[in-house]
Amino acid sequence: MSEREESFEKALEKLERIAAKLETGDIPLEKGVALYKEGMGLVAACRKRLEAARLEIAQAGEDGAVRPFEAEAEAEAGDADGDG
Amino acid sequence: MPHVFEVGELTRSIKDVIESEFPFVWVRGQVVNLSRPGSGHLYFSLRDAEAALAVVWFKNAQGGKALAGGGRYDPLTGEVFETSLATSLTDGMEVMVAGRLTVYAPRGGYQLVAELVQEMGEGRLWLEFEALKKDLAAKGYFDQERKRPLPPHPTRVAVVTAPTGAAVRDFIRIGRERGHGAEVRIYPTLVQGDAAPIGIVRAMLRAVADDWAQVLVLIRGGGSLEDLWAFNSPDVAKAIFASPLPVLTGVGHEVDVTIADMVADVRAATPSHAAQLLWPERAQYAQRLDDLEMDLRRTVEALLAARERELAVLARGLAWLSPSRRLVRLEESFAATRERLDRAVLAWLDGRQRRLDRASEGLSRRFGPGSLGTRLEGLFRRAERLVAAGRLYTAAKEQGLAVGAARLAGLDPLGPLGRGYSLTTVTRTGKFLRRADAVRPGDNLDIMVYAGRVRATVAETAPGNGEDV
Repeated sequence: MSEREESFEKALEKLERIAAKLETGDIPLEKGVALYKEGMGLVAACRKRLEAARLEIAQAGEDGAVRPFEAEAEAEAGDADGDG
Repeated sequence: MPHVFEVGELTRSIKDVIESEFPFVWVRGQVVNLSRPGSGHLYFSLRDAEAALAVVWFKNAQGGKALAGGGRYDPLTGEVFETSLATSLTDGMEVMVAGRLTVYAPRGGYQLVAELVQEMGEGRLWLEFEALKKDLAAKGYFDQERKRPLPPHPTRVAVVTAPTGAAVRDFIRIGRERGHGAEVRIYPTLVQGDAAPIGIVRAMLRAVADDWAQVLVLIRGGGSLEDLWAFNSPDVAKAIFASPLPVLTGVGHEVDVTIADMVADVRAATPSHAAQLLWPERAQYAQRLDDLEMDLRRTVEALLAARERELAVLARGLAWLSPSRRLVRLEESFAATRERLDRAVLAWLDGRQRRLDRASEGLSRRFGPGSLGTRLEGLFRRAERLVAAGRLYTAAKEQGLAVGAARLAGLDPLGPLGRGYSLTTVTRTGKFLRRADAVRPGDNLDIMVYAGRVRATVAETAPGNGEDV
């Protein structure tokens, strides 16, 4: 998961670079159109990832084992009551 | 018209200002007007030479809650007091009070809600706190230069806190609305009471030993000064100072009180605030993406428009330079020249005619009509020759122009084809056919015409020298 998330940052950075490159305007038309297509692809991919983004919560025990966070369900139920 | 406040509205504004400006203060002064109603809460004023401050010390803040029997203990040393100061407090006593400033709306007054009251001579908590602060400051624990920034958008976050309660819940709730996805690992610990400092330190060490997280978050919900005292312990301060991971604290609801906050790399006001500092709002990412998409569309459209304009300029230039346009221009200038030439020849002939008329008049006067006839005949013949010479001259020029125009048109390789010429290639040799004796009956020919190709076979040939066409 972390690799995937890091690539979100990278995709966003790449997108910024493409936008900046297009901004300068002094590039050949074919290259500009290719950059535009690549950029729009990145926008769509980033959006998709953002929609799927979750906060995953675990608890590290004294024994070093990592388990699902138990208080979470309770907290979620409380939130649902409070916010909904 | 200026805004007219309702009383309640103005009081609410004042309350907001005071409570956010003075979330936690230490005040020292003399106790006056102490009253002990049946509720057990204590009311008094703190006074010095200049002013007085109303103080309320609620019952639940008067004794160590963690201890059975309602006795007090010193959170730093663990020492248990035999009696709370609450029972022995009297008018005239010099005390130091730690607490929050609040506004009591029904009476329109502000007051200090005491969390801790200590006799001045005693003042151990405060003295310990100040001594530790001074010591750590001298050791460089609070130096800004050693503070590390938080990693941008961490995806692996260790949280040292109590596994239940508002702090962890708030942190998770806010974290869910932010970022683009991350993993949180909770390292549970006590955060209050005698065992809290060592519990916090152990949890931090486990988080560091796991070597998994990018940042360590230390949070605890709001509480009284004593509730938060674990975060003033030297052990916790050292653990934060020694942490190889950047440490973000969000302790209680005031920022300046705990040593832990001062040592931490980054200090958040509350657990919720800690989550806010870690991750940007998801909506901001969405907006950034929208902005970038609009940027892309706008710039690519500008690029296309710029190239289109350049193309239009070049196309106009090309049309002006094209052979057909040049031919038209040459034809125009040829017509003008020819007209001038015609006029000049006619004027010249006219002039000769007039001179001839004058001469013939003179001659007939001198020599009579007889010899005049033969001379006139000779003159007419010469005049005719002149007219013919003029025509020949213009015809030669005309032909020169036509040849030039044809050459120009010939520069366009497709031009002649369009006019019905064709390019013929001998299939056997692949060479252009220029002479009839280069082929024999039966040879195949490729003929390129204006539109398409024709394949043909030679029926017969009639060789010639190339000039009799």
